[in-house]
Amino acid sequence: MLTFLRILTALALIGIVVLLALIFVPVRLTQPTEQLAADWQPDPGHGEQVFHASDCVACHTAPGGMELAGGRGIESPLGTIWSTNITPDPETGIGGMTMDEFRAVMLDGIGRDGRHLYPAMPYENYRLMTERDLRALYAYLMNEVEPVRHEVEPTSLTFPFNMRFGLRAWNWLALSHDAGFTPQGRSEVMDRGQYLVEGPGHCAACHSPRNIFMAQDGVQASDANFLTGGVVDGWNAPSLRGEGAAPQRWPVGELAAYLATGRNAFSTANGEMGLVVAHSMQHLPDGDIFAIAAFLKGMDGAPVEEETAFAPPGPIAIEKPQADQAGEATAAMLTEAEPGMPLGARLYLDNCVACHFASGRGADGIFPKLQGNTLVLGSETGPLLSVILYGANVPGTEKRPMELVMQGYADRLSDEEVAELATFLRQAWGNDAPPVTPAEAAAERENPRATHH
Amino acid sequence: MARQEAKKDVVIVGLGWTGAIAGIELAQEGLEIVALERGRDQATVPEFKYPDQIDELTWGVRLKNMQHPRRQTVTVRRNGDETALPLRALGSFLPADGVGGAGTHWNGLNWRPQPEEMRLLSHIRENWGDEIIPEGMSLGDYPVTYDELEPFFTRFEQVAGISGQAGNLNGQIQPGGNPFEGWRSTDYPMPPMPTTWDSHKFREAALAMGLHPFPAPAGIASTSYVNPYGMQMGPCNLCGFCERYGCYQYSKSSPQTAILDALKRHPNFSYRTHAEVLRVELAPDGRTATGVTYFDEEAQEEVFQPADIVILAAYQLNNVHLMMVSGLAEIYDPATDQGVLGKNYGYQMNGGATLFFRDEHFNPFVGHGSNGMCIDDYGMNRNDYGALGFIGGAYWRSGLTNGQPIRSMPLPSGTPSWGAGWKAGVGEWYGHAMSIGSHGSNMSYRANHLDLDPTYTDRHGRPLMRMTFDWQENDLRMNQYMKARVEEVAASMNPDIMQSSFKGPGARYDVRPYQTTHNTGGHIMSASPNEGVVNRYSQMWGQHNVFAMGAGNFVQNTQYNPTGLLGGLAYWTVDAIRSQYLSNPRPLV
Amino acid sequence: MSDLPGYPNRRGFLKTSAASVALAGIAARAEAQADTVPPLDEYWPEYLDAAEWAFVMAACARLIPSEGDGPGAIEARVPVFIDRQLADYYGRADIWYMEGPHDPTAPPEFGWQTPLTPAELYRQAIPAFNAWCERTHGAAFPDLDPQAQDEALTALDEGETDLAPELSPFFTTLLNNTKEGYFADPIHGGNHGMQAWVYIGFPGARAAYREWAGRHNVQYPLGPVSISGERA
Repeated sequence: MLTFLRILTALALIGIVVLLALIFVPVRLTQPTEQLAADWQPDPGHGEQVFHASDCVACHTAPGGMELAGGRGIESPLGTIWSTNITPDPETGIGGMTMDEFRAVMLDGIGRDGRHLYPAMPYENYRLMTERDLRALYAYLMNEVEPVRHEVEPTSLTFPFNMRFGLRAWNWLALSHDAGFTPQGRSEVMDRGQYLVEGPGHCAACHSPRNIFMAQDGVQASDANFLTGGVVDGWNAPSLRGEGAAPQRWPVGELAAYLATGRNAFSTANGEMGLVVAHSMQHLPDGDIFAIAAFLKGMDGAPVEEETAFAPPGPIAIEKPQADQAGEATAAMLTEAEPGMPLGARLYLDNCVACHFASGRGADGIFPKLQGNTLVLGSETGPLLSVILYGANVPGTEKRPMELVMQGYADRLSDEEVAELATFLRQAWGNDAPPVTPAEAAAERENPRATHH
Repeated sequence: MARQEAKKDVVIVGLGWTGAIAGIELAQEGLEIVALERGRDQATVPEFKYPDQIDELTWGVRLKNMQHPRRQTVTVRRNGDETALPLRALGSFLPADGVGGAGTHWNGLNWRPQPEEMRLLSHIRENWGDEIIPEGMSLGDYPVTYDELEPFFTRFEQVAGISGQAGNLNGQIQPGGNPFEGWRSTDYPMPPMPTTWDSHKFREAALAMGLHPFPAPAGIASTSYVNPYGMQMGPCNLCGFCERYGCYQYSKSSPQTAILDALKRHPNFSYRTHAEVLRVELAPDGRTATGVTYFDEEAQEEVFQPADIVILAAYQLNNVHLMMVSGLAEIYDPATDQGVLGKNYGYQMNGGATLFFRDEHFNPFVGHGSNGMCIDDYGMNRNDYGALGFIGGAYWRSGLTNGQPIRSMPLPSGTPSWGAGWKAGVGEWYGHAMSIGSHGSNMSYRANHLDLDPTYTDRHGRPLMRMTFDWQENDLRMNQYMKARVEEVAASMNPDIMQSSFKGPGARYDVRPYQTTHNTGGHIMSASPNEGVVNRYSQMWGQHNVFAMGAGNFVQNTQYNPTGLLGGLAYWTVDAIRSQYLSNPRPLV
Repeated sequence: MSDLPGYPNRRGFLKTSAASVALAGIAARAEAQADTVPPLDEYWPEYLDAAEWAFVMAACARLIPSEGDGPGAIEARVPVFIDRQLADYYGRADIWYMEGPHDPTAPPEFGWQTPLTPAELYRQAIPAFNAWCERTHGAAFPDLDPQAQDEALTALDEGETDLAPELSPFFTTLLNNTKEGYFADPIHGGNHGMQAWVYIGFPGARAAYREWAGRHNVQYPLGPVSISGERA
């Protein structure tokens, strides 16, 4: 949702051209994809499950604010987009909203007053949710969430972006897909995973690229570019498909561990993904987590290990991994600790080797691997520089409650040293990514990204 | 007039190892719990973060991570004829301050006691008779057995995350482990840490002499680790900043790595820092506690925290002090042998040899608090007290824990302490020395006890606790025996220079050099109310809703570092509260 | 020669200048990032007055002299360290229990029993010891020749200088502080350029050696890093 600024830019290109035509065409709302009896009631817990899977908290809770009471600001030079209060408070929240109005929000991006929502709201994806899940979510928000009276500042962007009807044109392009879910049908588990990924989980919002209109290029599994990687607010949201992608390299159990706990044998969830884990994934049932993992692993036909639940907690001891063939030379050089080594290596020994070790392969579940790490190797260098300068934080989760914090080195390293170190990390142990410049380090130091602590 | 907080089911005094254990286990019962911690909140980051923690001066020498005597200390004298004087700056022992307590700054050595140590009096009577017990020595059996505690030792080892090698699995002796240890139902949760050059040399020498070396049991992660609460440790990198420091690496076993984040997820648990408990409040009949009064540092006022159950989980000295100033039991008087509170204060009798090898490189900064190989061949259950002429024993360890140069600078005796000779000495010998340490028992005596000081007071006007303690002949004899044995092994290693330091006849207690933070006893367990302060479930004889955790329960100290025993006792105690007390609050014995 | 504004020209400053020349080679190896510690001759003490500073300079120069291998206390800028320590919580005994009554005549095994804080101890002991030096050797300590200084320090070490019992911890305190300043991290003002660490082979604040646990009897080759990231 934080790519919104770029969406707005694209909007500027298309919006004005079709402006007048838009005004006179009536809006048509999507109808329910399943006719349910008027007295249909969700099973207990169903709505909360959908709520967690949909990660409503992420946007609709302000930092330090009451849960779901809105007011989280998404900054842009055109103004701030403020998330709304979705507690059932009748005046400041969604208390008076009908199910039909709720469906219009979720499937069409159209608010109660008929105004188009900014597509920071991922209705492109929610459009795929089942009527049952929508009804359950509605019931949950209305009945199980405490109403909070909290007036949220209205979003007012500068012209022409305040002309919300311009969004209609964009929707014609972005909402070309039908509402409702179409399973691939490979297995019940993978279909469940597909549904969670495509619909409520709205993974494509970050992990699919954007087309020239800045709409998601790949909303459904049948789309060629679905989940092939995107860039969100200066973070690489890595591709989840193809040979080098994490779901193909990681066993299903490790993928599931990453989603549920923000940490596994390979990596840790930082930045936006850390928030997804904290707000959403850690609360999902094991079955859903493994379904997501199974789908991601198998969506292009790879064999999928049949795992459905996490091992009970410890004691679990896992040996620290040794350097592999690609990393041997770097590991040997670091281990020898000869004074003549290059500056980048020296900086690694003075600042990083403690946790990530000479192997560059860290330790399972706690110290991420730097070898082959998408954040280290990303086309966006900001996140890596940010971690070096300001540290990183993996939230505590239900199954792995310990908050993992890496301290930053802004006080200890100059821009030149940060660049040397980052370049070393991107080229050690067989890593192969272009060098980083001191100017990039300086820019990141000047404008630290939100680290979401 | 004290402010009053809303009543809780449980109030815990102190949020170190035992307070955290009590908190998380009782939180699982759904009880409303508050823990009161005198010091600051502490987490791996930012309080212990790299590189700030790697500052020998601030944390190792100035002791800023520790209890500040300005806020709490004791007075010390060697015998009843001396006037006790305050311990103005810490030295001999280092109680901690802040969340995590001493569990943040320990070395990580995690031993179980020997089964024989849990029934020491009976062990002596059965083998040699009462007559070998010297006049004034005050020994007892623990009112709980090793076999009863074994599952709780195991539980604590799994929670804390201990690396080691079993020597006795269900009675089967295991190669490479300690063959003289008590049985264990399962192996250590992590394999042993790697062996450094010094410990390798010691191991070879010990084997050659027919001894039985084994890796030290370490609260130091050798691998990635996940404990039963889902809490984690990362593999230790032998940074050499263990004792006196919080671990920046999530590698040292501590409440931070083992319990706290899991505990904080329980909505029925809360904790307040900068909340120093001043006294336990009693019901008018004195038979139960009604809660505790603490000093709220921020508000600068006293606060009464009512609770149904009070758990005293402060450091041993502070637990005993709190009991004394609250009038929870009669203070022990050695002249009459009456009273129980402050009785059987115990400590540790240590010594060691330093071996210099001019041409060898030990890289002493490559280390961790529990580094090394040990032997237990001269331990409590191996020694023939009758023949040797003392009651006691020691385990040995050889393994460098750090190379911090201000404090860890062994020099051959005769090296000047300053001037050109000193400077040449540090250049010549740094990195070329190793050591063999003997960590031994210190029996309990009538003369070694705790009471309240008549002169000195703390900042709240409470009398300081007074420690009366000196070395006793029995233990000095034990130490001299160890000296002879250690020197044999050391000599077999052919060092260029060997020197040893073992207290001998006439040695007096000196508060200045660091010895150990293994202060024990004072609120000891007993089978009957006239012998001790708490029963076998750590429940106070006088007030059944007050439970006391920690090494204050030790009837007498063991030859080992106390954490394994106090951790096991904490789980044993909290199990009794859960399974026996909550449903029917009453004296459990 | 009086580079330090308002301070008398003392022998210590001469030594300092000589030392800084001698040091150029070592200092160049240390790639200091942010050198916040000025050279001794530009340092303005926070706590010590002129006479006290002169004493600390002179005493440090004998406790860890410059001659021979390795830096002396002067090259390591130990006097800066001591001055800063005395001005800080340590000097004020902020975290110690300092309530009376005091018995400074107590046996040494009872630890710190003087009523004085470390800062007060320096303040009172330095003039008393200087006076003793004048009575015994004919000049205040900084003005003695090195041999007489060593003799005087030996007498102080051995308790033969008639200092009042309140001042009895002075020599031990001074010596400990000198060694602390020699080996502590440079953020505290001493161990300038990490020279003392380089000298003995301590890698400083690196604190990460997993790969070296099994490298038996091999000398670790890499120089130190400091808390602030200085490399040598």
